[in-house]
Amino acid sequence: MAKYAMVVDLERCQGCRACMEACKIENNTSEAMFWMYVFRFEEGVYPDTRMSFLPRPCQHCDNAPCVKVCPTGARFKRDDGIVLTDSDRCIGCRYCELACPYGVNYFNWQKPNDAYYSDAIDWSDPDIQEVTLGAIPPYKNPALDERWGSEQRRTAGGGHAKGVMEKCTFCVQRVEQGLQPACVETCPVTALRFGDVEDPDTPISRFIRERETWHLLEETGTEPSVFYVGGKPPSQQYREVERPKARV
Amino acid sequence: MATTTINTPQPLPQGVGRLGPAWIAFVVGALIVTGWGLFAYVRELSDGMIATGMRNVGTMGGASWGLYITMVVYFIGVSFAGITVAALIRVLRLDHLRPIARFAELLTVVALILGGLSIIIDLGQPVRGVINLFRYARPQSPFFGTFSLVIAGYLFASLVYLYLGARRDAAILAKRPSRLQWFHRLWAAGYTDTDEERARHRRATFWLALSIIPLLIIAHSTLGFVFGLQVGRPGWYGTLQAPAFVALAGVSGIGHLIVLAAIVGRVIHDRERIGMDIFAWLGRLLMILLFAYLYFMTVELLTLIYATPEVEKQLSDALLLGQYASVYWGSVALLAIPAALLAWQALNRRWRVSWLVASGLAVNLAAIGKRYLIVVPSQTHGTLLPYETGSYSPSWVEYSVVLGIFALGSLMVGLFFKAFPALPLSEEEEREVLANA
Amino acid sequence: MRRRALTATMIIAGIALMVIGYFASAPWGADVVRDSDPRFGFAPTVFVLGVVVAFSSALVYELLPDKKKGR
Repeated sequence: MAKYAMVVDLERCQGCRACMEACKIENNTSEAMFWMYVFRFEEGVYPDTRMSFLPRPCQHCDNAPCVKVCPTGARFKRDDGIVLTDSDRCIGCRYCELACPYGVNYFNWQKPNDAYYSDAIDWSDPDIQEVTLGAIPPYKNPALDERWGSEQRRTAGGGHAKGVMEKCTFCVQRVEQGLQPACVETCPVTALRFGDVEDPDTPISRFIRERETWHLLEETGTEPSVFYVGGKPPSQQYREVERPKARV
Repeated sequence: MATTTINTPQPLPQGVGRLGPAWIAFVVGALIVTGWGLFAYVRELSDGMIATGMRNVGTMGGASWGLYITMVVYFIGVSFAGITVAALIRVLRLDHLRPIARFAELLTVVALILGGLSIIIDLGQPVRGVINLFRYARPQSPFFGTFSLVIAGYLFASLVYLYLGARRDAAILAKRPSRLQWFHRLWAAGYTDTDEERARHRRATFWLALSIIPLLIIAHSTLGFVFGLQVGRPGWYGTLQAPAFVALAGVSGIGHLIVLAAIVGRVIHDRERIGMDIFAWLGRLLMILLFAYLYFMTVELLTLIYATPEVEKQLSDALLLGQYASVYWGSVALLAIPAALLAWQALNRRWRVSWLVASGLAVNLAAIGKRYLIVVPSQTHGTLLPYETGSYSPSWVEYSVVLGIFALGSLMVGLFFKAFPALPLSEEEEREVLANA
Repeated sequence: MRRRALTATMIIAGIALMVIGYFASAPWGADVVRDSDPRFGFAPTVFVLGVVVAFSSALVYELLPDKKKGR
């Protein structure tokens, strides 16, 4: 059995947010939902300011508070360490969101609008049709709707539905097919790494052994599966700058 | 059901079965407000919870639990009073308080039903919620206690207590022909008031009361655990959460009971049955609970501002000086002033119903405020990662639904009092009923 | 006697149902985080049923008609 983990190398991250874009396209998430989110922080007083970046995927904790508090077991942890949401079982109480110290959960406040990126485009335009070959977005990855793993449960990857919770799935549909999560695949500077940490010979295991790693909010005892390398934990003195439109 | 009206020379006691114009106006008003709440809820169902003011914590900068959860906590808190008083009367043999026992139990039952409703309206998938809780509910989740002990156990036990306690009166009323005779007969279920039955009733209610009191402490504590066990949310995590919940539950519940007692006394024109001694006892109980809660609150406040991690400080600043300061200090004032008022009356041994009712209303407003301050600020100002601070204000849908729930509650109380006497029948009333049987 | 026996049985049965329902829904002996399902479907209902049965014993105790009719 594998045990998946992610490494975020803050020495490499340049805050380009390509991972956020890749995540939205791969997982077809709705407006203002950021399963992967990259903080752009500023600290200090002008002119002595410093920028820093912090990608924040779901931490897929080994001692996940969201799994513990879920009243119906809709939030579950697979043997390979991936924490998923069974969108067929979720009752929409939003307790997981409040138990999570990282703020990675997103509730579907309304019927998800799959086409919000493409509403502005006239898809019947022949010039555009030349590129799209007649396909009209939203393109929906059929792999999202499949049931994966031994549990054969929904993963909230494709189950965007009104009134249920969703969050980062480590792109379970890609991992099951032997691919890397979309954010990892996309990162232009290899700031994100993903792999099996149970096998000591994988590149990620070696990387974690060789480098000094830390976890986000270690003091909350969540035992995350996401390791950070370089940089330092964010403090409350950090100010967020350049926020994307995030309110629906 | 016999719908033939029989011309009764003497009506049933305490206005049972008589529909006066004031009562009809009250029912129509309550129905309109309930209907408005229902309309708002249908909007919420069809549009999704975007119709509320709630949004995600973190990047979306909102609060994911808002007014609805505040009301869940508040209503379940109010339910504390009724059954406590009823059980204390039975266990401690406080016979002079007997008159208020029945509507105290009714208050508990109604408040619990409203609390359960508030949970359901807060769910994104209400139908699935009802099914899946029965199917998959997990004891590891602090919600389990709320679902299994509070809603199921506590509500059922209170219903049994209410039912059994009123059986004797139902049997008496059932002897009189009236439109409600079938109902009273059903309620009495063959009660004949023999010595044996009375002894049995005493034994049964004693043990029920004895088992309800610990259940009640546990139930209100589990509600505190919903918040108190969450290490990821500053302001929630703490050992004091559970006992403080029990204390504030008592405060709001007894406050509510005082108001209800005054209303019942006024409506059935029976000032003597609910006399000053009862109000004085309720006032003293409210005072004790109020001081206990103020003590918890002060301890919590001192801990929060003395040695505090950075995020907690951000939260306490928002509470004490910032965005929530008006609600915070307003609630504190609405707790402290009634406490002083009650203490003054207790020291002088002179009680005034108007002051008591004002205190009861004030502490209930304060209880809603304090519940709101437990639920919301920890979400908007208590993120451990440095997200920008959020904001939350309830939308018209939330206000309408909450108003509708209050109206539904008063409707239930109003209907009950027309089908059954609010106070246990006095000996005179008993004789009068039997004379006309 | 019949009344007492029935009431006691109901209380015991209620508590037994609560214990069964609790342990069937709680994952004692299993991985706390991973196993989120009850051991059988509707196990929490058994718990709630236990609570209801235990408190219904008071109803039975009072409402059960006497064997010999009339008095």
